[in-house]
Amino acid sequence: MSKKSTVSRLKQMAKSGSGHFFRQGSRVFKYGAIGFGRNIWLSITATIVTTLTLILLFATIVASSVLTSTANAMREKIDISIFFESDTTKEELASMSKTIEKDENVKSVEYSTAEEEYDKLYQSYKESDNQSMLTTLEIVGRDLMIQRQPAAMRIKVYNTDDLSSIKNIVNSDEEFIKHLSKKEDPTYNTNSSAIQTISSWADIATKGGTALSILFLVISTLVIFNTIRMAIYSRSEEIYMEKLVGAGNVFIRGPFLVEAMISGVFAGIISTILSLVGYYALSPRLEAYEIQVGSINSFLSEPKNVILIALALILTGSVITLISARLAIQKYLKRL
Amino acid sequence: MILFDHVTKSYSGDKKPALDNVSLHIEANEFVFLVGKSGAGKSTLIKMITKEEMPDEGKIIIGGIDLDYVKKRHIPHYRRRIGTVFQDFKLLPTRTVYENVAFALEIAGMSNREIERTVPKVLDLVELSDVAYKFPDNISGGQRQRTSIARAVARQPKILIADEPTGNLDVETGQGILDLLEKINDYGTTVLVTTHDANAVNHLKKRVVTLRDGKIVSDQKDHGIYRLDGDNDGISLPQPGHLHPETYLMRDQRKQPPKRRLIQ
Repeated sequence: MSKKSTVSRLKQMAKSGSGHFFRQGSRVFKYGAIGFGRNIWLSITATIVTTLTLILLFATIVASSVLTSTANAMREKIDISIFFESDTTKEELASMSKTIEKDENVKSVEYSTAEEEYDKLYQSYKESDNQSMLTTLEIVGRDLMIQRQPAAMRIKVYNTDDLSSIKNIVNSDEEFIKHLSKKEDPTYNTNSSAIQTISSWADIATKGGTALSILFLVISTLVIFNTIRMAIYSRSEEIYMEKLVGAGNVFIRGPFLVEAMISGVFAGIISTILSLVGYYALSPRLEAYEIQVGSINSFLSEPKNVILIALALILTGSVITLISARLAIQKYLKRL
Repeated sequence: MILFDHVTKSYSGDKKPALDNVSLHIEANEFVFLVGKSGAGKSTLIKMITKEEMPDEGKIIIGGIDLDYVKKRHIPHYRRRIGTVFQDFKLLPTRTVYENVAFALEIAGMSNREIERTVPKVLDLVELSDVAYKFPDNISGGQRQRTSIARAVARQPKILIADEPTGNLDVETGQGILDLLEKINDYGTTVLVTTHDANAVNHLKKRVVTLRDGKIVSDQKDHGIYRLDGDNDGISLPQPGHLHPETYLMRDQRKQPPKRRLIQ
């Protein structure tokens, strides 16, 4: 028996036995779908694990986004406050504002005279209905309070880490030196550590969120891989039998991959629903703590974005389960 | 049809080889029992035919195919040419009797119409039409083995290998299975049955090849009452080793199987 005749016989067998691509493909899908139903407990387990993974992924991305926007909002609220003697006029403040605006790090400058500062203070007590403070202010009297109230300049900066150039202007410019309040020092020294802390929070939120998402994906892929591996282990005899009967690897592997993919799709749909319900339930409470959810709310208000999230979660779920199933079954396919 | 030419196989860790210089020739349309105690080498021989194992030495030619040249990617195609029946049935538990039989045809790429036409005929042949839509767990042992046979013969292979097909069945059910295998053989399929059940061998009175410690110790074409007491190796063995494998293939081709088909 020559090698040539054996090989030509085998090639002939391969040609006659391979069947139509679409016919075999539809059988793989059919048995995958049937297998999903008939191995319902294993399917449910794989779906639950994938759903939890996707919810965690969604939560991590939302948390990262919320923390970043919250940190940015807090950074916006922080300003450098420089106080001046109460007799400093609006024109003098405007002149000093022009001087400080020349610095590249300065984003914006607001200023108010002692009188305006007093009015703001009075208005804030009134809005918060702080009767005791309002009574005190009235007893002391407006004129006396204005004499004691310093004028103020509030500066917002681009880089909160380096304020040396602004400090330099405040401490060396003649006009500043002339009008600076003797009673109240500028607040940038006391605020710098807070600014730095919030800056690093924003960094952590962005970098940590990404790292956490990747970590969750890796862990969950391993968990799903093990779940599917256990499922396949319990059916390893089936795979062995299929190989002995002459089934090719694609025909054996296919239904398992389809089963896994169905789990992934279901997990994507379920996790989208649960994540959105969870988010809408939690977001009013987060807002109460001044956590910035506005950008996410506006993103979710568009129906196409919700569909986009659903598709992304379904795709992620399918990819994770497909990769896990592919890795898990490989060992058993090599057996024969 | 099946040729083992000086085949030796050892497993790592074992002192004695599982098969020791075994030469065996089974012609087309023959029915052969391969008997021997546990560990005699029966399963190893079967695994070589299904290409689960490869010999350390010697040559194996099955249905005109030299297994030395069957590459991994061609193994599924090769296996589809051989029907295999197992002691523990090896059915797909999540598929019905019908689907188990259809599976053998689906993997070969047969069209749905052909499958719908063939499977009922095969089930009729093995008398399983009544349980076609039951799952393996819901039918008897005998019916499971009939399902396994139906799956094995659905593609009308030239060779049917049955590894201890009556091992898990009572005597009466086992004889029914053997009668079915004989019927399949009558239609021109070469049948090789391994067993350590003397009742099975005596029931059909066919050629009996006895393996002991990896060696063929007896090859009887006409025998009396067979006992599995280990003393049945008095007949001299045919030694095909001195002939070139091609000679056997020519003999196979000369011997034409019956023209009628198992499944019309």
